[in-house]
Amino acid sequence: MSRVKAKKPSLCTCELLTKEIISKSLSILRAVVTSCYGPSGRLKQLHNGVGGSVCTTSSSSLLFSNLSVTHPILKILTTSVQNHVSRFSDCGLFTAILCFNLVEHFQRLNLSTATVIKISKHLLSLCTDYLNSESCGCRISVDFSNMKTLLCLVQSILTSKPACLLNKKETDHISTLILKAFLLTIPEKAKDHAVLGKSIIVPLKDERVMNSAVLPGIVIEMPEVQLIRKFPIKKLPSDALKVALFCMSMSGDISEPGEGTLVISYGVSLESAVLDQLLNLGNRLITDHVDIVVCQKVIHPALKQYFHQHHIITIDRVGISLMEPLCEMTGAQTIGSLSFISPTSYGYVKDLCSTNFGSKHYFHLIPNDSTVCSLLLCNRNETAWNELKLACQTALHVLQLTIRKPLALLGGGCTETHLASFIRHKGINVPECILKVNDCTQTEYKIVTNAFCNALQSIACSLEHDKGKILTDRKYGHFWSIPPDFPSNVKWQDLVSECGCGLYGNQEELNWCLLQDIHSFAPQNSSIQQATNSTGHLTLDCFTAKLHGLQVAVETASLILDLSYIIEDKN
Amino acid sequence: MVMACIDVNRRKHVGLQQLSSLTETGRSFLGPVKSSKFIIGEGARESVLTCSPVRLLESLDLTSSVGQLLYEAVQSQKSAYGTGTSTLLFLAGAWSAAALQCLQQDIPISVIVSVMSEGLMSCREEVVPLEIPLHDMLGNTGHTRSYPFLGTQSVIPSPLVQIPAEIAWIQREQDRKDMSFQPSPAVFSSRHSSELSSRSSYFSSQSVAKGNKAMSQALQTNLIPNSHTRKSGLSHSRHFNRAESSSYQTSDEGQLDAWVPRCSDMVQLAMGLSHGDHSSMALVEAAVRCQYQNACVRRNRTAPSRFDVSKISTCCLPGIPESFSCVLSGYITLVSIDHIAIIRELQNQPLRVALIDGDFSENYRHLGFNGLGNVKTQLESLTYQEKMWLDCILEILIQLNVNLVMVRGNVSENVMERCMLRNLLIIGPVSHHVLQDFAEVTGAVRVTYATQLNEECVGSDVYVSLWRAGQLNAKEISDKVAVLVKAEGILLATAVLTSPVVAQMQAKEDHFWTCAYRMYHALVDEKVFLGGGAVEVLCLTHLQTLIERSQKKMDQDHSARLHRTSSWMASSQALYRPAVLEALADGWHRYLSSVVCNTGTCSSETEASTFIRNFLQKTIDSGCPLLYLLKEYNKVTSGVLNSGIPSRLEETSRVYDVVTPKREAWRRALDLVLLVLQTDAEVITGAEYTQLSSQDSNELLLL
Repeated sequence: MSRVKAKKPSLCTCELLTKEIISKSLSILRAVVTSCYGPSGRLKQLHNGVGGSVCTTSSSSLLFSNLSVTHPILKILTTSVQNHVSRFSDCGLFTAILCFNLVEHFQRLNLSTATVIKISKHLLSLCTDYLNSESCGCRISVDFSNMKTLLCLVQSILTSKPACLLNKKETDHISTLILKAFLLTIPEKAKDHAVLGKSIIVPLKDERVMNSAVLPGIVIEMPEVQLIRKFPIKKLPSDALKVALFCMSMSGDISEPGEGTLVISYGVSLESAVLDQLLNLGNRLITDHVDIVVCQKVIHPALKQYFHQHHIITIDRVGISLMEPLCEMTGAQTIGSLSFISPTSYGYVKDLCSTNFGSKHYFHLIPNDSTVCSLLLCNRNETAWNELKLACQTALHVLQLTIRKPLALLGGGCTETHLASFIRHKGINVPECILKVNDCTQTEYKIVTNAFCNALQSIACSLEHDKGKILTDRKYGHFWSIPPDFPSNVKWQDLVSECGCGLYGNQEELNWCLLQDIHSFAPQNSSIQQATNSTGHLTLDCFTAKLHGLQVAVETASLILDLSYIIEDKN
Repeated sequence: MVMACIDVNRRKHVGLQQLSSLTETGRSFLGPVKSSKFIIGEGARESVLTCSPVRLLESLDLTSSVGQLLYEAVQSQKSAYGTGTSTLLFLAGAWSAAALQCLQQDIPISVIVSVMSEGLMSCREEVVPLEIPLHDMLGNTGHTRSYPFLGTQSVIPSPLVQIPAEIAWIQREQDRKDMSFQPSPAVFSSRHSSELSSRSSYFSSQSVAKGNKAMSQALQTNLIPNSHTRKSGLSHSRHFNRAESSSYQTSDEGQLDAWVPRCSDMVQLAMGLSHGDHSSMALVEAAVRCQYQNACVRRNRTAPSRFDVSKISTCCLPGIPESFSCVLSGYITLVSIDHIAIIRELQNQPLRVALIDGDFSENYRHLGFNGLGNVKTQLESLTYQEKMWLDCILEILIQLNVNLVMVRGNVSENVMERCMLRNLLIIGPVSHHVLQDFAEVTGAVRVTYATQLNEECVGSDVYVSLWRAGQLNAKEISDKVAVLVKAEGILLATAVLTSPVVAQMQAKEDHFWTCAYRMYHALVDEKVFLGGGAVEVLCLTHLQTLIERSQKKMDQDHSARLHRTSSWMASSQALYRPAVLEALADGWHRYLSSVVCNTGTCSSETEASTFIRNFLQKTIDSGCPLLYLLKEYNKVTSGVLNSGIPSRLEETSRVYDVVTPKREAWRRALDLVLLVLQTDAEVITGAEYTQLSSQDSNELLLL
């Protein structure tokens, strides 16, 4: 007899942001994220509390993927940040903190949500227009013929993650390697549209960072020391080695046995039947003069032995992630069947050799002319290695984004403060038509602008974790920091040394004031490109990622403010 | 599911406190005189005797995240270098206490991080002059010189640390000669009488080439450009702009070089690296020598002539007096006493060997084989199938004339029984390094299945023999006999480790490996540090000068080399530098005090600390710490020389330290401390609410 259980009514919550539980969760998450920001940001230990591995990190992608937030509002925020990070790799923390700040500042305003959202969208468009314009005073153009700016960009990313545990020398070394790896992925002969290659990060843990290296081609770990005496192998007259690439298992399994029992008659061995089939395939490869057999999965030991007898090198258990770069590099097509091999599916490499890194041995497949390279990445321990890998991936991605749009934004908080002063200045005189379009009064516009700018400024302030005071100058609107307990009789100029991005020093009289006391002024931006050439080191941010992060933050904040009900199905 | 967040910084830094208290347990492992610890499991009443940080941490219940990180760091140092773990453990504790001290003085975390890592980097550069280059050490092993007299002397190698004499290590070369199955293992023969002459002939052979004076000059000129390059490298660093040092660098260069100790042969090196554990090091030295000689035999077959630590295996024989420990070329392992007859049968004749890289049983399948699904064969019985398989492989083995099978994995009972009947010796499980080496030297090819075997896979000219420790009856090793497997030119050397106390066996093996890795890294680096605390003292004096200099002039250009944190950090670093560097120095100071205290030179930690302080002061007052240290460490050596025991001592009385593992241990210790220092919150993921509520709930912030 079946019983019908009555459905529970849905739960509807309103007045979301003023609820204590939500605002408390928001402020905790905000504190967690904000404290991670910047090169002196604090780290978080993520672990399961019962002795599992510990991940020490300050990067948004690891943090958010491990946080199991339950409340829908928090979920909206974390999901949109994660989406941003999956597309741009960089500026995840920036996006999250800005979004928190905007929600907090806008929520305090005593204005209708619709007005706030409208005006903030207008302000966003002001920002993006300004950043995209030639006259923008916080961006520089990246010159690809000069490595200096690119190095600065990469170094800024590496130093913003203290959990990588790199010192100055190591940062320089890794930055150079990243740049080298990136340059190796650029095709030499570009046609109408160039396709960037791939750099593969090969893990080498427990080793010194300085042992990291970049090699052209693909490096695959040898499971054990194979008989290296067999190198070098015979060569084709064309001086290239023929490669066959298998994506199926060659271990002698029956690939899809299906359900049910298979009954075979006595004396028949399925195993040997499958092995015979494999050996037939082997014969085919031998007659086709293949030199190297690469398999994504396992090769049957008997087949391997057979290959070795015929001086064919086998590399198995390569893993799925290497298959695509292998295809790209060798020009081979993956073979997925035992019975049919098209002669066109073979590829070629220039050479194969074996190399040692640390205590491990590697096959090194050297390409003829290809844009695939391997970055052997070392770090001393697991958690630092993971963080370093993430930072390297971000840096490589940022370089890719930069080659598409060769611009960079000033980092170290300068872009934020500069942008805030620009928006404030614009807000002094708002044309009537803009007020009309946004359907608001002059006062309302001013209030929202102020909140928006404060949110931008407070993200700059999040870079400071040791109670230092933040100043800004009235000429360029850059970010300056001074010690928390300075004597009152000292001039600002003696306290500051360099602005956040490193573009300006304290030489000029820049008319500093505390960031919170700033009133509107017209930020100058005339000589920026000149100034970049004269300074040694700049902190730079990825233009594309930051611009997109800004948009995501404003739009997510609007979405969160706009939510009035949550309806939960309790069944 | 709940996610919780613990604010670490709420009180004083909890993580650093945990780190500091966890590492406190490892204090007694420091230095040449170590005290063991008993770890007792309360439930099962099991106890373990441990003397190494890795074993200690393995046995502790480390649920806290800091404990995990500490364990990972120690484990990683061990897997990368095999030595230096107790240094890492101790310094991690000492520096976390130092960092706590800085936090109490309200020094910003970013400043602590950058000054400490910069200080360590600068010290790593500073100690470079204490490196002693090693040239062609392995070549010098060729001169047959005895090793086992190491233990017979009392050596006072350092003004700080006394390394105690061990109980005389009794030579038993005569016994060993009888035991080892081939009559000419030159490795073990020690010719006291010929030793001195062979050494002098070594020198004279060189002086013939260059002339005696020319040689010593050559050595000097060899060193001077070395120090030139070093110093020019250093002068780029801002730490080395001090006036006083540059003055002695130019004028006293010759003087300095005269004091830089040299290490010219294996015995001296082994002695210096033994750190008080002469018996283990003597075995390691013998293993090095053994490998070298076999590599010479094999040279025509392209053998790398360097010490390969992976080609060493150990065989532990508990319950036998320690004096029976020795090193033999080849592979020794314990097999069941049932094999004794076969071994006797096969002894003294060249055997054919098959190497199986997997289990030796019917139902074993290679890795990655997922089976064939649900297959049933009609009229089939499992036992029959196995019998078929057995018959098949026996036929293969007999046809190929194989007498010996070495197996990496397990061997099934049935296989063992049947093979024994056919006079086939099966040895397993053996490690893949062993298989690899036998493959290289015998021409055998490793196979996964016995059915893969063919003529080309079988190696030849392997010898087996029973091996007995002295006159002991085979029965005494709990129904097992030791078998020695050997082949001409095999690099593999086995250290037979014996101990009358079963509980000490593990520690003994650990010690052996520590010594082996120390030797290995010294030979790989081709340099060693002058040991016995000299390196740490030089670091301390260097930090002292850095502190004084930064107190004198708060120079701004320090900031340039630092990580770019926020700009005020750079300027306020000058203010905090002395305090942070002081804290860093404090870590090394505590390290030295503990070593001195452990050796028993001083009765208490405070006394040791004062002793170190005095020595440090003397070193600094001398004006040139490096020269003073070199002189002081030489003085002790010659002091021993003059005290009666004649010339032979000269070469054995200095202490050395490994270079890379030591530096890495420092760096890893500091990395760990800085990682924990910069952490401000723990995020516990995926835990249930009930699990969390057991913890102090007001420390938790729930999301």
